[in-house]
This record gives sequence, C-alpha cells and structure tokens, in this order.
Amino acid sequence: MAIRPILLYPHQGLKARNAAVVPTDPAVQAVVQDMLDTLVASPGVALAAPQIGHAVQVIVVDVSRKKGETGHGLIVLLNPVILAQEGRKNVREGCLSVPDYTGNVLRYEQALVEGLAPDGRVVTVSTSGFEALAFQHEVDHLNGMLFLDRIQSLSTDLFRRKK
Amino acid sequence: MDHFAIVTAFGQDRPGIVALMADALYQLGCNIEDTCMTRLRGEFTMMLMVRLPEGIAAETLDQRLTPYTTPLDLAVLCRAMPDQAATRQTGLEVPTFMLSVYGADHPGIVAHVARTVAQHNGNITDMNTRVIGSGKLPIYVMVLEIQLQEIPQADQLRQALEQLKPLLGVDLTFRPLESVTF
Repeated sequence: MAIRPILLYPHQGLKARNAAVVPTDPAVQAVVQDMLDTLVASPGVALAAPQIGHAVQVIVVDVSRKKGETGHGLIVLLNPVILAQEGRKNVREGCLSVPDYTGNVLRYEQALVEGLAPDGRVVTVSTSGFEALAFQHEVDHLNGMLFLDRIQSLSTDLFRRKK
Repeated sequence: MDHFAIVTAFGQDRPGIVALMADALYQLGCNIEDTCMTRLRGEFTMMLMVRLPEGIAAETLDQRLTPYTTPLDLAVLCRAMPDQAATRQTGLEVPTFMLSVYGADHPGIVAHVARTVAQHNGNITDMNTRVIGSGKLPIYVMVLEIQLQEIPQADQLRQALEQLKPLLGVDLTFRPLESVTF
C-alpha cells in the first residue's frame, strides 16, 4: 500500500460527491490502507478518502496523534453520518487541503457519529471536543464541503450584526 | 515584474460601491488581491491590495480611478506597495493571541492598550472596535489579534494588561488564538 499525496484545492475531487462503500469490497480495504499510510505520514489527525483522490465515503480519525489528545484512538469509518450534534461553538479551523489559511466556522462541541467499521459492524461513536471537530470536518469532506463553505466571518467574529 | 499598490477608498454607504470600485480596477487592468472592506456606521471603507498592469504606476492610479469614483463621491488614495510586503507569507508559525477589551467609553483606551502591546513587542495584525450600549451609557469594545515573537513575552504582556484594568476602568481577556487543522 502507499502514502498518497493529499490533494489541494482547487482539485475538483474535493468538491465531488462520494459513493457509499461495501465493506467486503477489496478495493475499499485498499483505500483504507492507503489512508492509514497517508495519515501516519501527514502532520494531521484525520483524513477523508477524497483528500487522497478516492471518491468514496471513508474517513480515518486518530486524534491521539496530537499531543495531549486521546479521544477514541484510531477509528476508521465507512459511510459515516452525524446522527446528532450539540453545543454550538465557533472554531478557527484549517485544512490540509487548503494550506496556510484558517477561518472561523460554526461547529458542535459534541457529536454522535455512526458508520461501518472495516469489518462491516455498525459502529456508533459518541465524541466531544477536538475529536468531535475532526469527525465533523471529515464528514464534510465526504459531502464535498470544505471549511471555506462554512466560514462565519473573515475576521474577528464579535461584531456580527444582529440578524 | 509584478508591482502592487494599496488602494484605500471610502464614501457614504450605498449599494454599488464595491461593484463600482471593482469594475473600475478591472477596466484599468488591475488584479484585486487581498482586501478588507467594512462599513463604519454610515461610511463604507475599502482597503484593497491590487496588482498593477504594465504601464500604470501606483502614483497615477488614483487619477485614473477618479472618472469612475466621482459619481459616488469616493475619497481615493493609492500608494505603491514594496515587493517584499506584497509577497504572500506561507506557513508562518508565530504565537498569536486574541485580546478583548471593554468598558465604559472614554478617550484613551485604544492609546493605552496599543502602547502597552507595542512596549512588549506585540504586533497588532487585526483590530476592530465599536461603541456599543445605549446612548447614555456607551460601552467601548475592542478586539485585537496580536502576534508575539516568543511565548514568554505573553506572560509579561498579560501582567501589563492586567495593570491597565483599574487604570482605564476596563475589563479584558488575553488568550492564545487556537486554531485546529484537519
């Protein structure tokens, strides 16, 4: 398997729709392995398949790669969806696929994520804090969404006018 | 070789100011790069960094813009931007902090806060202020993004800012700007 280059916007793969996968498909297992290899070689804590050029719904998250974070350790999810999220918070967020820029986006402190493990089991992850942000960011990738699509304000957010 | 200018312009707020300015620059062959524009109460203000075409000097840009901007009575100022300043900085990893200051409005809050930041070699990279609250009891709010060269300076600056609180009658919070990259 292999370390793949992380695609940078404006690569249109980052804005494409991504197909649901079948766990038993050997091609899916190969994608997962590429993602794990690429994650380990990257400075990040999570990846979505479209970031390495596969238009399928697979994410890998391992926040323990960041000092001081543990979370659930390494989680690989196929066809993940966010079932519930709670606790709105503003986060200054960046993305490996959009280098050298961060923006203020609305995220949630807690998230309930469901998907399939690589062996086909249904997995539900109740996550919070930094790890919850990672899941929200990666699931966005599967829907062709970048943090740029969620920016609340180009600058400081305190002076948002009343709606 | 590319050359750049900073254009500042402002005028009474109304729909179409940005369209007018952007179209004027486009007609003149300028490429709009980084910009910051906002409304200060009834006045719309623009700061634009533009890449100039061959044959237009920054010094003559405001004259060339005048025919376009006169109908909306915009004040326009243009100045050449040094090449080094125009270069995009990538991967700059310096400690960055947010500072919020707020309190009953009176002259001198910005001056004292900014001087304190400067004395600790803090570099203000972004700043917004507003007078909020009721007319009888105006509250001043300022939010600053500050870059420091080293983390230890942050503690010294924090202490100095704490000492400003009773002096200015303000509350403030100084905190690291945390960003997450996925």
